[in-house]
Amino acid sequence: MLVTKNLVPGESVYGEKRISIDGGVEGTKVEYRVWNPFRSKLAAGVLGGLDDIFIKPGAKVLYLGAASGTSVSHVADIVGPDGLVYAVEFSPRSGRDLINMAKKRTNVIPIVEDARLPAKYRMLLSTVDVIFADVAQPDQARIVIHNAESFLKDGGHVVISIKASCIDSTMPPETIFANEVQTLMKSQFQPLEQVTLEPYERDHAMVSAVYQRHKSKQN
Amino acid sequence: MATHALFESASGYAVFEVKLADGIASKTQALQESIKDLSKFGKMVTLMSFSPFKSAADALENINDVSENVVSEHLRNVLELNLSKSSKKSSIKLAVHDSQFGSAIKASLGISCDASDLSQEILRGIRLHATKLLKGLQGDDLNKAQLGLGHAYSRAKLKFNVNRIDNMII
Repeated sequence: MLVTKNLVPGESVYGEKRISIDGGVEGTKVEYRVWNPFRSKLAAGVLGGLDDIFIKPGAKVLYLGAASGTSVSHVADIVGPDGLVYAVEFSPRSGRDLINMAKKRTNVIPIVEDARLPAKYRMLLSTVDVIFADVAQPDQARIVIHNAESFLKDGGHVVISIKASCIDSTMPPETIFANEVQTLMKSQFQPLEQVTLEPYERDHAMVSAVYQRHKSKQN
Repeated sequence: MATHALFESASGYAVFEVKLADGIASKTQALQESIKDLSKFGKMVTLMSFSPFKSAADALENINDVSENVVSEHLRNVLELNLSKSSKKSSIKLAVHDSQFGSAIKASLGISCDASDLSQEILRGIRLHATKLLKGLQGDDLNKAQLGLGHAYSRAKLKFNVNRIDNMII
């Protein structure tokens, strides 16, 4: 079972189960929240075998496609009080839930804005270590590249969830995944890993890559 | 090549003077390494002025203007104060993040702007080292400002969403 250490002990964000165990010191408790791979693609990616999601304590993460903030809350648990999550979501309805979740987790900065237009929210961001994208848009790779150009540090990482049917439902998923990886490679990303999200999602892949800004576009 | 750079942060506007050697290619390893290294990057840019927002409301107004490519009163004052005093205004080239925002500045103040690759590298460097470069900001002041402004900006988006119906994303 996958769990994250609850940043706000005593509370669930979306009705998920909590598990409390005795802490290192007598009388203290540590609380964990269950991270469901059927509800969170990032969790599915971890259980699907990604070696490294690069989201770790103290990291700054740009999360594109934050939705209601359920997965974001787990990412916030992982980066902890010294890390930051910039959570971008365009839909106002999901944005409302995202803002409410962020009220309790002060390491989450909610941004209700179009991830296609990073210039609109450039005032809100510092340079980040990782971009995680789950935007399910046909031009997802372009969105990620556009954000990386402004906000991702040289040598930083991206983790992208690709939904084949969102890009082209007529092509075989493997071809689509390969095309997306090619697009990333043309924009100075070096792919690292690729896993499918079976059995949690159908025709989904999760790809991680490292950003090497000094490499020329031709290589 | 840019002579100055405008950096819009959640805490305020900063104007930097840029000193770059001619003919630097933007995506070489050498340039990327010197941007990462604050001691080297600190020689490429010097802070001319940092003008913090007066209040949270002021910051919200400014981010709304910036995201709509409007030059706010505050920004106009900052740029006029720092860039117009030199008589050779024509030689100034301001590195900006967004070319449309650049044209808005050009239209309202007559300052030439530049959103080329090299300008983006400079702004990336400033963003990377922002907390060290912006004088008067303590360790996590900038993050706190981002947090407050992020909430305010997002909340305003919901408030003024007239149709209130979700635009479904497939």
